[in-house]
Amino acid sequence: MTDIALQDGPEIAALPARARVLRRLRLGDATFYALTQAAAIAVLALLGGVIIALLLGAMPALSKFGFDFVTTERWNPVTEVFGAIAPIYGTIVTSIIAMLIAVPIGLMIALFLTELCPIPLRRPIGITIELLAGIPSIIYGIWGLFVFAPFLQQYVQPALINTLGGLPGLSVLFAGPPYGIGVLTAALILAIMVLPFITSISRDVFEAVPPFLKEAAFGLGCTTWEVFRNVVVPYTRVGVIGGVMLALGRALGETMAVTFVIGNAHRISSSLLAPGTTISATIANEFTEAVGDIYTSALIALGLILFVITFIVLAAARYMLLRIERRIG
Amino acid sequence: MVQTVKTTATTARTPLYAGRRRRNAMMIVLAWFAALFGMAWLALILGALLWEGLSGVSLRAFTEMTPPPGSGGGLLNPIVGSLILTGLGVAIGTPIGILAGTYMAEYGRYNKLTSVVRFINDILLSAPSIVVGLFVYEILVRPMGHFSGIAGAVALAIIVIPVVVRTTEDMLLLVPNTLREAAAALGLPRAYVVHRIAYGAARAGIVTGILLAIARISGETAPLLFTALNNQFWSTNLNAPMASLPAVIFQFALSPYNDWQRLAWTGALLITLAVLALSIIARALSSSDKN
Amino acid sequence: MNVITEHAQTTVPAVANKPLDTAQLEPKIAIRHLNFYYGDARALKDISLTLYKNTVTAFIGPSGCGKSTLLRVLNRMYDLYPNQHSEGEVIFDGDNILAPKQDLNLLRARIGMVFQKPTPFPMSIFENIAFGVRLYEKLPNSELEYRVEHALRRAALWDEVKDKLKANGLSLSGGQQQRLCIARTVAVKPEVILFDEPCSALDPISTAKIEELIDELKADYTIIIVTHNMQQAARVSDFTAFMYLGQLVESGSTQKIFTSPGDQRTQDYITGRFG
Repeated sequence: MTDIALQDGPEIAALPARARVLRRLRLGDATFYALTQAAAIAVLALLGGVIIALLLGAMPALSKFGFDFVTTERWNPVTEVFGAIAPIYGTIVTSIIAMLIAVPIGLMIALFLTELCPIPLRRPIGITIELLAGIPSIIYGIWGLFVFAPFLQQYVQPALINTLGGLPGLSVLFAGPPYGIGVLTAALILAIMVLPFITSISRDVFEAVPPFLKEAAFGLGCTTWEVFRNVVVPYTRVGVIGGVMLALGRALGETMAVTFVIGNAHRISSSLLAPGTTISATIANEFTEAVGDIYTSALIALGLILFVITFIVLAAARYMLLRIERRIG
Repeated sequence: MVQTVKTTATTARTPLYAGRRRRNAMMIVLAWFAALFGMAWLALILGALLWEGLSGVSLRAFTEMTPPPGSGGGLLNPIVGSLILTGLGVAIGTPIGILAGTYMAEYGRYNKLTSVVRFINDILLSAPSIVVGLFVYEILVRPMGHFSGIAGAVALAIIVIPVVVRTTEDMLLLVPNTLREAAAALGLPRAYVVHRIAYGAARAGIVTGILLAIARISGETAPLLFTALNNQFWSTNLNAPMASLPAVIFQFALSPYNDWQRLAWTGALLITLAVLALSIIARALSSSDKN
Repeated sequence: MNVITEHAQTTVPAVANKPLDTAQLEPKIAIRHLNFYYGDARALKDISLTLYKNTVTAFIGPSGCGKSTLLRVLNRMYDLYPNQHSEGEVIFDGDNILAPKQDLNLLRARIGMVFQKPTPFPMSIFENIAFGVRLYEKLPNSELEYRVEHALRRAALWDEVKDKLKANGLSLSGGQQQRLCIARTVAVKPEVILFDEPCSALDPISTAKIEELIDELKADYTIIIVTHNMQQAARVSDFTAFMYLGQLVESGSTQKIFTSPGDQRTQDYITGRFG
């Protein structure tokens, strides 16, 4: 070791100078800490602010109509009588139908991506699905209005009316003329929209299953489907349910994809082919044209109801996803 | 021993086993079908967008203002409006998001506050964007007495924050603790460690998060409807209503005029291409960082 | 160079350094009745030990005995994590470093640390070293370059990196990275350097280089090294402290600990019967 040419005695730094520098830096440190903490608290305040602002805005309508607001169907801007049951019904029905369609398909795609897909195709297909999830909802809306709804009106709905419309029990659901737009169309668009969410979340959850568990089942002679059905799904059930609820939260609050194709009719029809409305579609369609404080307030009250419903669903979803994260660690 | 082998061989031919195999084959076919089905929608939507939108992509679309009903025109004012609103939304939302994410990963990693913020942030991440619009209407538009570009930007910023908080925290948590310890062992103050070491190591991931946030808000419509509203004319005044691509698409698509509908398709194509490009860049960035 | 055999040996390793007379030495750090807790679990039990200036002290003992914990008390590294606390005193130049009002940044600048895994920062080789220096001193560029070169020379790395100072620190080999970390520590001008198993991730040749370096650095610094490799302790240290289950079993000159240990457990560990 001949490197030490620059040796210049013991190298102890002058302490007071250092302490001075550090004191100055400590002020910066404290400032930065305070800034970051303030930002974190701002995130909390944001949620609190949303709730308070909506509550205040909704107060006039809620105090005028009381509990009737969520139980009556009447929505009359002229006489200023408002009841929210029709949009609430529409929101829930479209979302549920969407989930009934999208969940099985999404899970099957996730199964495909984790177990069946040839390795070189996995990444491209996975990325495609995720890109589909990133497309803005207004694109789904305009496509639904100009392409999908006319297609349904011309081919699918007449067929539904002719076949299922004749069956006892189902006839109520598929009655009436084929409008193209309506509850069913909105639900189908929602299904297409949430499909990529469900797929990518369940794929992530399925991939987290420890390989040895699957190998053990394959070692018993289980088929791919049996391994999926009896090992992967039970192991990841909580996570999958969490992912599904997350998608449900999105579907409930979705505005643009639905507004274009639901028809904006404030009534509850037994037929899925009839026009209806959802909370978000009502707000999007009517808010800027709402005249009078009660009308505006009623729309904000709708927003509050939507926020409460989605909050509960999303909180439950996060709780479940958190549980599976802890389990997989 | 021989007996066992024999039994196994026979079970392989039992109807039960054949049934299991049939079921498996059926489910595999179904899974393939589901995957093709999922991909088909992307193809259908992109196909329709290209088919309907491409014909309207011309120099006019980028140089002329939105027209009155029944005449030709372009999308210049909504394109510029969208750029302004998105840029401003990101400029407001990103610093807050990065700071909050920094608190959660660096200063308050083991705090109660952090777990509460994380939970709330995850909910805000998927909260209905139309509610954000209502909120900003209540706190800005109503007190100011009129719709404005700045209200639109604030609404978009509120959507940016949770996205950036989430990615910043995740990316900072990926920075190995050994690096933090090594920096602390030199006597470096925490803020210095965060700025020079943690941000440096997490930079690509944080940028990815910002890109994804931009992609998310560039197509957002609902929060703009009653904040920035829309504007038929050229305006860069932040204190006045401002045009944006999504709002123009919403208005024009639902109109009965053919010219407007064509412009709506063109706008939709532009937004989709921008969003896809942003997502692909973000993805490329994050995967190049992993290597 | 010594051939390093990591596995069970039955002979006692040869001690390199002559025993020193503690009366001639200046105490640098005095640990008095130190207890350390992870939550409610007591990880260090009533440790008292004196560390002398310009010497190398090795902490040895089986995994989980608390030797790394003890090392991390000395620069209060445990403060980065919740639910860890200590009781007792650690006197460093007349100051109790466990005192709540202790300036941690200043303390850590005075007591440097080199970690088990090399931890170069994600920046250039030059920046890795200049980074810490710049924080404390505003230097003209030429002076800064001199300081970086000096630190790299002290870490015996200069000749290997002088033509690629702009290269990323992560592009170096494991042994070079570890010497870069030593250079980085030296550049901040500490008084004490803590080594936490600095060679456990390195090959034998790199290990030998680091050991040589430690031997040279003790002329200017007080050095404490945690190692699970007894040959290493024998090769580099003047004093050895043997720890077991959170207790300090015995400490003294390396010569004495390795040739005539006072405790049966030390004897068993040294001769490779457990650990």
